[in-house]
Amino acid sequence: MITRTMLLALLALSSPAVAHAHAMLDRANPPVGGTVGSAPRAVSLTFTEKLEPAFSTIRVENASGERVDAGKPQVERGSGNVLRVGLKTLPPGSYKVIWKVLSVDTHTTEGNFSFQVGR
Amino acid sequence: MSRFLLRHAAPAALALMLLPAAASAHCFVGARFMPATLNVDDPCVADELSLPTVSMFRNGDDPSARQTDISAEFSKRITESFGVSIGSAWTHLRPPGGPNASGFQNVETSFKWQFLTVPEHEFVMSAALNIEWGGTGAQGVGAERFNVYTPTLFFGKGFGDLPQAAGWLRAFAVTGQVGYAIPGSRQTINSIDIDPDSGLAVADIEYHPEVLQWGGTLQYSMPYLKSNIVDLGLPDFFNRLIPIVEVALQTPVANTITSGTVTTGTINPGLIWAGNKFQIAAEAIIPINRQSGTGVGGMMQLHFYLDDIFPNSIGRPIFASSTMPGGLGR
Repeated sequence: MITRTMLLALLALSSPAVAHAHAMLDRANPPVGGTVGSAPRAVSLTFTEKLEPAFSTIRVENASGERVDAGKPQVERGSGNVLRVGLKTLPPGSYKVIWKVLSVDTHTTEGNFSFQVGR
Repeated sequence: MSRFLLRHAAPAALALMLLPAAASAHCFVGARFMPATLNVDDPCVADELSLPTVSMFRNGDDPSARQTDISAEFSKRITESFGVSIGSAWTHLRPPGGPNASGFQNVETSFKWQFLTVPEHEFVMSAALNIEWGGTGAQGVGAERFNVYTPTLFFGKGFGDLPQAAGWLRAFAVTGQVGYAIPGSRQTINSIDIDPDSGLAVADIEYHPEVLQWGGTLQYSMPYLKSNIVDLGLPDFFNRLIPIVEVALQTPVANTITSGTVTTGTINPGLIWAGNKFQIAAEAIIPINRQSGTGVGGMMQLHFYLDDIFPNSIGRPIFASSTMPGGLGR
């Protein structure tokens, strides 16, 4: 009986309808630690939770630490969990993405990763 | 001196505890998430519930008894950086030849202050006072009649700040703790008998040692690897795993007349699976010597992140900061 109750509780907690949680980075484009053949026009980050646009940011730097993102990041209206920022024209090299987001239940998470633009 | 402390140091410490820290509920330090660990407490304050933790092993008694512990612990943040927790365990002992014994261990409470958080270096420190309340458990399973006070220092460090060239090594993290357990009673007189030869009274006295409690964890975070180093495209189940080795040791260092000074403890290799709102952990229990137990035991834990399950009620600090996070320098 106790085991069944625990399993039902876990299933309920696994349901996305119950409550929100920390927004974790689910996938990125360009991918985390990946290499792309041609310069991407934007960095797009998909999170596990919906975001508060006013407090969610992305910064993209080149190997010298200079910013190469173009403008304020936007949260996609349809999904609410995709944060995107445009990029300047990137020459081949290594780039670092630094992000910090606030999920709709007010939990803050942050992270950073690198990607390469191939020569 | 004590009046000075009351007038100046105590209010200053209280004010510091009320200051909002850069923490973010359960143990996030910068880009690093440190899971709740089973045998060594993690270095953060949090709103969380461990229910249950079940462990089965052969203990260090001579002869060794089969011991089963089922425990629970509830932790609550009072402010962003100060929290309390309360917990206890039910123990069942099966010594060879019997008789069996069952009962609760003493209730334990802990008051923890996360006083240092350095997100960019994934470094965190906290200090706690743990109190085991004597007489609240059953003596038949080893619960003592006196209080034990254990001031403890905790730290956690992720290695995400290593150079990019370190690659996958950046997913490693360590945590540690050093505590000093001070019993509220120095000795217990178990019995007084009259020696038939001399006619003198002979007392059987057990001295309660002061014990250094030390240990740590080495953990490899697959979530960190995926989000901050390289996304290998693994199934979600594997991306949530944290392989871990815990080491928890106790060394009697004072009043050791009857206890001896042998260090006891266990090594616990295992796995933690961290979900969005709970985590499940399983670890082996390997005693470091005969005094620590015999054979290999095991432990499992179900742990709930109350800050994620109830973000607007019991998952929030009682005195929560309304400060919104800053940006990245825009």
